[in-house]
Amino acid sequence: MVMSEGVAPPYLSRELEAPGKPRRGSNTSGRAGSRWGQRILTGFACLVYLYLFLPLINIIVFTFNDPIGRYNISWDGFTINNWLDPFKDKELTDAFIRSLEVAFLAITIALIMGSLIAIALARYRFTGSRGIEIFLVLPLTTPEIVLGASLYQLFLGRNIIFGFSTVVIAHVMFCVSFVALTVKARVRGFDWTLEDAAMDLGASPWRSFRKITFPLILPGIVAAALLSFALSLDDYIVTDFTKGEFTTFPIQVNNAFRVSFPPQVNVLATMVLIVSVLLLVLTSVRGEKGVTR
Amino acid sequence: MAADTTSDDRGLRKGKWAPYGLLSPGILWLVLFFLLPVMILVRTALSSKATRFGNPEFSWQFSNFSSAFTDYGPQFLRSFVFAGIATISAILIGYPLAYWIATRSGRWKNLLIGLVVVPFFTSYLIRTIAWTSILKDDGVVLTIIRAIPFVPQDFRLLATPAGVIGGLTYNFLSFMILPIYVSLEKIDFRLTEAAADLYGTPWQAFKKVVLPLSMPGVFAGSLLVFIPAAGDYLNNRYLGSPKTSMIGTVVQDKFLVQFDYPVAAALSLVLMAIITTMVLIYSKFLGTEGLAV
Amino acid sequence: MTNRKTRIQPSATQATKADLSRRKFLGTSGLALGGLALGPAILAACSGGSSSSDSSSASDELWFENWTLYIDKPDGDLYGKGGTLDSFQKASGQKIKYTEGINDNNEYFAKIQPLLSKGKPIGPDIFALTFWMAGRLVDLGWVEKLPLDKIPNSSNLIEALTKPPSDPTGAYSLPWQAGMAGIAYNKSVTGRELTSIDDLFDPAFKGKIGMLTEMRDTIGLLAMSLGIDLAKPTIKKFQPAFDKLQEGVDSGQIRSFTGNDYIDDLEQGSFAACIGWSGDVVQLSASNPNIGFSIPESGGTLWFDTMEIPVGATNVAGAAEWMNYVYDPVNAAKITAEVQYISPVQGVQEELRKMGGTAAALADSQLIFPDASTLAKLQTWGNLDDVQEPLFDEEFAKITGA
Repeated sequence: MVMSEGVAPPYLSRELEAPGKPRRGSNTSGRAGSRWGQRILTGFACLVYLYLFLPLINIIVFTFNDPIGRYNISWDGFTINNWLDPFKDKELTDAFIRSLEVAFLAITIALIMGSLIAIALARYRFTGSRGIEIFLVLPLTTPEIVLGASLYQLFLGRNIIFGFSTVVIAHVMFCVSFVALTVKARVRGFDWTLEDAAMDLGASPWRSFRKITFPLILPGIVAAALLSFALSLDDYIVTDFTKGEFTTFPIQVNNAFRVSFPPQVNVLATMVLIVSVLLLVLTSVRGEKGVTR
Repeated sequence: MAADTTSDDRGLRKGKWAPYGLLSPGILWLVLFFLLPVMILVRTALSSKATRFGNPEFSWQFSNFSSAFTDYGPQFLRSFVFAGIATISAILIGYPLAYWIATRSGRWKNLLIGLVVVPFFTSYLIRTIAWTSILKDDGVVLTIIRAIPFVPQDFRLLATPAGVIGGLTYNFLSFMILPIYVSLEKIDFRLTEAAADLYGTPWQAFKKVVLPLSMPGVFAGSLLVFIPAAGDYLNNRYLGSPKTSMIGTVVQDKFLVQFDYPVAAALSLVLMAIITTMVLIYSKFLGTEGLAV
Repeated sequence: MTNRKTRIQPSATQATKADLSRRKFLGTSGLALGGLALGPAILAACSGGSSSSDSSSASDELWFENWTLYIDKPDGDLYGKGGTLDSFQKASGQKIKYTEGINDNNEYFAKIQPLLSKGKPIGPDIFALTFWMAGRLVDLGWVEKLPLDKIPNSSNLIEALTKPPSDPTGAYSLPWQAGMAGIAYNKSVTGRELTSIDDLFDPAFKGKIGMLTEMRDTIGLLAMSLGIDLAKPTIKKFQPAFDKLQEGVDSGQIRSFTGNDYIDDLEQGSFAACIGWSGDVVQLSASNPNIGFSIPESGGTLWFDTMEIPVGATNVAGAAEWMNYVYDPVNAAKITAEVQYISPVQGVQEELRKMGGTAAALADSQLIFPDASTLAKLQTWGNLDDVQEPLFDEEFAKITGA
């Protein structure tokens, strides 16, 4: 950028003239462009949000539907009965609980292993770190169907019974990479000498980990946990190949869809949605007070 | 910044075995349940089956691969075309939104980006089924579309390629928005201010400054959309027709219904190989290094 | 947050000591945590010895694995009071576990194949698969001979619904329910009654026709419309039927291939007509008089879902008790009143009339109690052997886009 002698660029000159005073038409958050452009962009953004939420709205609205047939797809009449009896469909509810069980176990394992990887990558310089990073990305760039099919072959050949364990193993597998990369992204650029400082001040390794490192990586872990929860609960394709007789929520919905699509599906899905949104709001509120980069 | 004997100025350590210790559980898991299965898949792809329900035997059967191309060429092509269109659509829809969010101020940003993630927390399957409800032939949306002049009266979106592509775009849109947002957020928008002054129009500023800086995000997002989309079969199952079948549909059928493991394995590997090749070409084209976000 | 500038500069020796201990800590704790996490998971996975977690541990419990919506559910509860399962348990003292894990013959086969092919038990004592899949299991030797001497009520069975081509001696399978595949249509969309397969190919209904993913029903109906007999199928004989189906797909006449979910599409009018199953239509037309069903002039298919006992089942005696129980016309009528498919038991019609109310109305349904002239229009598929079946499946998969 060329600054001719004595003449400050326009934005600086404005700043000098009236420091701190909000100006119309330009500001440091980058809203370059005409008001018209801004309006169109905002309008477009709203449309995109509508697009993103349209199915969710549909799902929530249809929790109040009273379908005539076995498929909750057309609007037939309003009722709150579905909310009063959300666990009416036993197979569905059981599958839902199983999904939650799988998710919690898989997330716990993946969070531990993934965070360890992230700490190793972010904190240490060692040979093979670049290779490990690439290796971590590979499961993410492999189509789910290949992941599922290959696990299917593995378990089949080893006579391993398909069921809860195989599904958990599969879920951990695809979550570990996500966790490692998410936590690593969060901790990159941190000033690790803070730990040195703590140790020099007499803190034990455990204490410095607990008081310094852990709070730093915690937002990353929370983000990774939420992401993994969504991935695991949602997962269809990999689960399809590793489940055997075991059913999770999406599997049960798909299987039962040949015959029915009860409103309880929407109710359970909405419950998950509400809890997740609450968690999201809670963590982002906490995050505001957290560490800035 | 003082020089440190055992760590650099960010506190990074030169690891001896500590990093390897941290890495080992996660990496071991991935080796066992990702790498090994894929290798087994390769072995199966080169096998043949003696009896219909017997176990495949390794026999360097390269014909499995050639039959993949001859018999299922159309499905492969269709999958890549659908995934490609979905990716481009996701960029067109997602980029403006990501830009809009990144140029908001302060705490609104977190809320807005959080909203993008919320649809994730409903099951992938249920979101897709919701689209069958939204887009059904006699529903509100289709009625409105048919009211537009020049639209034929038997126009429909379900059981069409448009329906499948729409589903793919929707389901992976958040995967596109997030990386783009992350890369945009890092940009100091005073640069665009300066650029606007230099280049004259905001659009030029955008093109020359913002766009190139956001390319890593676009790249990451494209991968996260294209790869799962290419191997998907659920969208086709609910929103498609027999004429829109994708390679994922074939693989799932061959594995779980027809038990033709060798050909199914060959198809999966061909899919993976083609995707990897496309990714490499794409990354060369964009000139970015890796998925570092 | 400490300001970078004020951080303490460690001396060399201090740093080294702190370094080593921290590194050691991180390293060991890493391994320990990892081990904790990995260990149980691997152990769980390798415990392949016992059968799946759902196996009935008590050998006195009877496990019957069936399709969904195939038994009565008082107040939505399978074991509700007065229901078949409840009454059976009370009458025989035999506890029964009923699961609805079968959604698709091929899918279920894929589940049991890894176990049965290695001679391992799968858990259920009885399962109900469609006759042709049962035939495959018979050929593979994965089902046990039925203890027919312990099932005296099997003499109540309608002769025509026993001993399908897939099990000509009837030693391995007994029918659960039977049904017909024919043309299901929505009168408000079609504007008329449909009576032949040609109606399905009427250009007026382009893009509004559905067909079944069940190969035998779809190809069977098409083949019969071309005059092909279902008795001794070979791929050569049936090629014209496949070609006709391919034509329908290519021209856009056929919108999609469905399982039971055609019901919803039919009701909404996304389908004007489709190939469908009699029992579904009975249920649907009760609430929606626009829905009609007809056996095409050229003929429809007759199919049965049959009960078999897998090899390795632990409670064969209990299985026999159950089968005997459901072949009593009174009990069979209770099931039919709910399920509304063709009961294989004689005398169910009268029992339904005795029940009165809506059940009695079912007694007059041609779809549940087809008379001789209707039965004459139905054919059951001959057996497809190990050579023919994959050819048929593959050809069908190509057309349906699988």
